[in-house]
Amino acid sequence: MKLIRAIIRPESTPRVIEALEKNSIYAMTRMNVTGRGKEMGITQGSIRYTEIPKEMLMIVLPDDAVTKAIRMIETAAKTSAKDYSTAGNPGDGKIFVTDVEESHTIRTGEK
Amino acid sequence: MKLIIAILREDRVEDTKEVLETLGIKGVTFLYVTGRGQQKGRVTAWELGESLNRNMRMQLVGARPGEELPNVGSGVAGSPLHRDTEFAFGFLPKRMIIMVASDKEVNLIVQAILNANQTGQHGDGRIFICPMIGAIRIRTGEQADKALS
Repeated sequence: MKLIRAIIRPESTPRVIEALEKNSIYAMTRMNVTGRGKEMGITQGSIRYTEIPKEMLMIVLPDDAVTKAIRMIETAAKTSAKDYSTAGNPGDGKIFVTDVEESHTIRTGEK
Repeated sequence: MKLIIAILREDRVEDTKEVLETLGIKGVTFLYVTGRGQQKGRVTAWELGESLNRNMRMQLVGARPGEELPNVGSGVAGSPLHRDTEFAFGFLPKRMIIMVASDKEVNLIVQAILNANQTGQHGDGRIFICPMIGAIRIRTGEQADKALS
């Protein structure tokens, strides 16, 4: 099993969730976070914003479903430039994948 | 070392805290999150119980003010207040607790969380256990298991 943490733009969350639903992935946890990437936030004139609001989705999936899910999140969370010259902008987010050794359903206690 | 992530019902967190305290688990991080499981965030009228308040019930049944309202759980299957009628809420508010424990403590903690949180209804939550490579206490710089105790 793998834990996917996707840190994405809050406004692209509905699109990502819709894409995952089409792939029949319903179970996930959402949380509001703030963060920045290698651009060190956003500089507007003389003001620098170092913490930008993002949304984190946490999804645990069996190993064989991970690659497909990552691709779906990627395509759904990617924004296009105003003139559609490039796909993807800084700030679209990141996807991290970590191992999960065990998962227990609390209701039944099963592994 | 293992990282334990548990997603729980909001009203079970206090009990969980108590149980963890009696076990001597001190370091825990609590988060407010929203989430859903295989039920896609559907909740039955029965599980909603008291939180399905009078105004909502009036709307569901289409009753006029002052009219007698049927109780939740009454009526035939398929009627708005039947106990199995489901309401779609999408993402439900949950609490997430995160803790790092040494390998031998993990089973104990998992069992404690299970005991404190099992209601037998959908939405009780999940526990995930992930490998954790390192831990460092910032104050002293102690590493690995020393940083946990």
